[in-house]
Amino acid sequence: MNQNLQNIKIQYLEKITNLKTDKELESLRVELFGRNGLINELFSKIKEIPNEDKKQYGFDLNQLKTELEEKLKNQTVSKTELKIENSKIENFRLPKIGHFHPITQTERQLNEVFKKLGFSVYNSPEIVTDEFNFARLNVPKDHPARDMQDSIYIKEPEYLLRTQTSAIEAYLLSQKNKDLPIRAAFPGSVFRNEKVNRSNHFVFHQYQAVVVDKGVTMKDLIGTMDLMFKTLYGSDVVVRYRCKYYPEVEPGVGPDMQCFNCHGKGCPLCKYAGWIEMGGSGMIHPKVLEAAGIDSQIWSGFAFGMGLDRWTMAQKNIKDIRTLMGGNLAYKPNEL
Amino acid sequence: MKLILSELQKFLPDLKVKATQLRDDLTMIGHFTNFFEEIDGQTVFDLDIKVNRGDCLGYYGLAKDLSVFYNIPLKNLSQKTSNTLNYSLPIKINTNDVKRIMAVKLSNLKNSASPLWLQTFLKCHGSKSINLIVDLTNYIMFLYGIPNHAFDTAKSTENLIWEINPKFKEFTSLDGTKLNLDKNILMINNPDKPLSLSFWGGEACAIDLNTTETIIEVAVYNRTTVRKNSRQLKSTTEASIRLEKDLDEELVPTAFDHLINLILENCGGQITSKVFDYYPQKIKLPEIKFDPQKASSISGIEIPNDFSIDVLNRLGCQINNSLVTPPSIRKDISIEADLIEEVVRFWGYQKIPTNQPLAFKETKDITPKEIYLIESLKDKLIKLGYDEVLTWPLVTSPVDKKTVVTTQNSINSEAIYLRQSLVPSLIQQLDQYNRFKLPSTQFFEIGKVFSKIGDQFIEKNALGIYNYSSAQLIKDLQQLNLEAEIIDNNFAEIIIDNLPKPDKYTPQLSNNTAYELTSQIITLDANIILDEKVDPQELIKKYSQIIGRDFLWKITITDIYQDSKTNKYRYTFQVSYLNLDDKKAKSLHLNSFGLI
Repeated sequence: MNQNLQNIKIQYLEKITNLKTDKELESLRVELFGRNGLINELFSKIKEIPNEDKKQYGFDLNQLKTELEEKLKNQTVSKTELKIENSKIENFRLPKIGHFHPITQTERQLNEVFKKLGFSVYNSPEIVTDEFNFARLNVPKDHPARDMQDSIYIKEPEYLLRTQTSAIEAYLLSQKNKDLPIRAAFPGSVFRNEKVNRSNHFVFHQYQAVVVDKGVTMKDLIGTMDLMFKTLYGSDVVVRYRCKYYPEVEPGVGPDMQCFNCHGKGCPLCKYAGWIEMGGSGMIHPKVLEAAGIDSQIWSGFAFGMGLDRWTMAQKNIKDIRTLMGGNLAYKPNEL
Repeated sequence: MKLILSELQKFLPDLKVKATQLRDDLTMIGHFTNFFEEIDGQTVFDLDIKVNRGDCLGYYGLAKDLSVFYNIPLKNLSQKTSNTLNYSLPIKINTNDVKRIMAVKLSNLKNSASPLWLQTFLKCHGSKSINLIVDLTNYIMFLYGIPNHAFDTAKSTENLIWEINPKFKEFTSLDGTKLNLDKNILMINNPDKPLSLSFWGGEACAIDLNTTETIIEVAVYNRTTVRKNSRQLKSTTEASIRLEKDLDEELVPTAFDHLINLILENCGGQITSKVFDYYPQKIKLPEIKFDPQKASSISGIEIPNDFSIDVLNRLGCQINNSLVTPPSIRKDISIEADLIEEVVRFWGYQKIPTNQPLAFKETKDITPKEIYLIESLKDKLIKLGYDEVLTWPLVTSPVDKKTVVTTQNSINSEAIYLRQSLVPSLIQQLDQYNRFKLPSTQFFEIGKVFSKIGDQFIEKNALGIYNYSSAQLIKDLQQLNLEAEIIDNNFAEIIIDNLPKPDKYTPQLSNNTAYELTSQIITLDANIILDEKVDPQELIKKYSQIIGRDFLWKITITDIYQDSKTNKYRYTFQVSYLNLDDKKAKSLHLNSFGLI
């Protein structure tokens, strides 16, 4: 801790210990935490601290503040009034309850849908090779489909942070190509070289499900996706399934949900299309199966993926995507 | 891609559907159409053309698709130019990146401003009208999706050379943008100066109203080279968007003839050279084995074989027994699955039932045990009153410079390192909470930490915890049986990969609320005096209801006193409010406790 702050801490902890009356206690509280109190004055000095030390100073100051607040709150002083039941004060606080992050809640909700259909939950590394993020998914080098995803590279062109959960699919197929049939679902963080603002983030969350079996059809895919959407959005949700291109699937299927704001009439939210694109899916491209050493003449499969962040934001009335990651997302400490 | 209905109808005179129907049909067959609007009396659609359908970056390709969908004829708008001249242009092609070029010289032209219909067409496509010759070249690019170029020979000479930049340092585009050139840029030059990039015309040979003589070229290049050049020069044009896709070399003559005829019709003049047609390697079309039954077995619904064959015929495929050769314009069709998609999209995705999901099937559980461990730890921490947070995996400073993983192109020039510990990210989260004056926080994150040893990237799962009370943190770690490292008293971190993992685990489901804080939490005190002692729990319940859930963050009774003289009881409340400014919080507070 900064030496100056350390000295203040020692000095005030001693003062608090030596308090004798309520009046003294209130006076010290104002001295420390009042509008023009010491703590606020110390916070206002942050701007004078050199940039490289600012973060540490802020941290130390917050720590000092918390400690002094705690000490002051717990200090017993002699009073003219009779203080009773002091020992029971803790009982009057409602118990602190813990909370899952909204993304975890959504992931668990989806995992539950798929577990009931016999799916395992899977994961794989976040640093991936170009091969697993692109080449094995039928996106060779310099293919224009790469423009759909700007990557964050560790070591260009070989290593990058995965841009899509399809990279988990490529890994899964390569690892489990002898364990067919496969049913697996995987939530995961993915990364793109995007500027962070209210609507976009460089890290976000996707959910993907993959089936490899004999005789898998588009009907299976669309029926399963529909079940998932109905679980998330309720049985009244209107979803259409249309032809859509993704390099790793063929035929490709694009699910669109009828805009919940305008019910298909067109509004700014759905960019006047009346529909909101919900993700991508399709029958796994034979080249993707072959790249994993799976005979596409015998086995077929489907894959679909969707983003979780926007849905979660809508659910929790969160307007700014930055809130989800290290932001101002918070939970009420008690059930009220 | 913009699409004007009346222009589309020139290719499809029998197209009679309403705009809303056309929008929905285009979308269902793969060309997502956001909306349509009226611009200067024209109905204009806004389409999202996918990267595999370079052919649909022109009206012709989209019209071909729609002619199959609606089963109506596609009209040919291009007529072959007649030419018996012997004079050959002195054009040189010194690179393998040219797939096909057609060029010809036109003389005695009279250039002018464009007629209104052409100006409106370009306006609908978001392009500016320049002059008639230039506008017609752009018109043909939008019509067929194949870029082309007109050189003013008074400025360029006839000695055009297609080559990889041999020596030029700088290039000025038609709009005056100056670009510094690298060596590997595909260009059109004359021996003395650079004239044009493959995807952007140059100022040095620009067509103006005084132009009377021009060389017109229509070309298709190696798309990878154009893509790289466009990225390298950080320049995107309507031409580069098209040229970096797979375009049809066989469509070049159609676009070329249409353009030449349009210029001659509108600007007068004559053809004054032999047509230069460079096409070194005629494309080889794939022969794909196709079983029409597969359309049914892959879609899961019955699609008649006759329909499949009919669709492929209408698409222009050559069918020889079970072998299908797609038309050259359809570069995206190369395997049987592509043909199946064609059949299913024209049969109609909407005919596939949506109410028949996969049935349950017992398959081998391949869930990694670490997932069970993570889920069980999360549940235990939640039960102990911790909140789960997610933080940035990119951080500004490394814990260990020797093993840190550094990104090459992070979105943030400062946050370039992948985190080696969760604690710095949790400190930032705490700072954020402190900025919002959140009282008594305790939270955790389970996430990846990264390091690099030699050439190996290592990812480990870590658990990071913060508790405002260091004593409670130690107690909780003991209860969880975790030997975590304590950092700065209030933080703890442990790599969890080596902990014992459960064989199975069913995580709990919850739907707890979460709040996006927009202003500081405001905490205020209130005293109430009561004649009798009351159950504090009841008092909390009562005042919670009065204040209301929307803005109430936390309510606590911090003290109860009995006055020795009056025997009355004083209850001291501490109430925290969320997403209210000072004034509104005070007003709500005073009203709720009857202090006004």
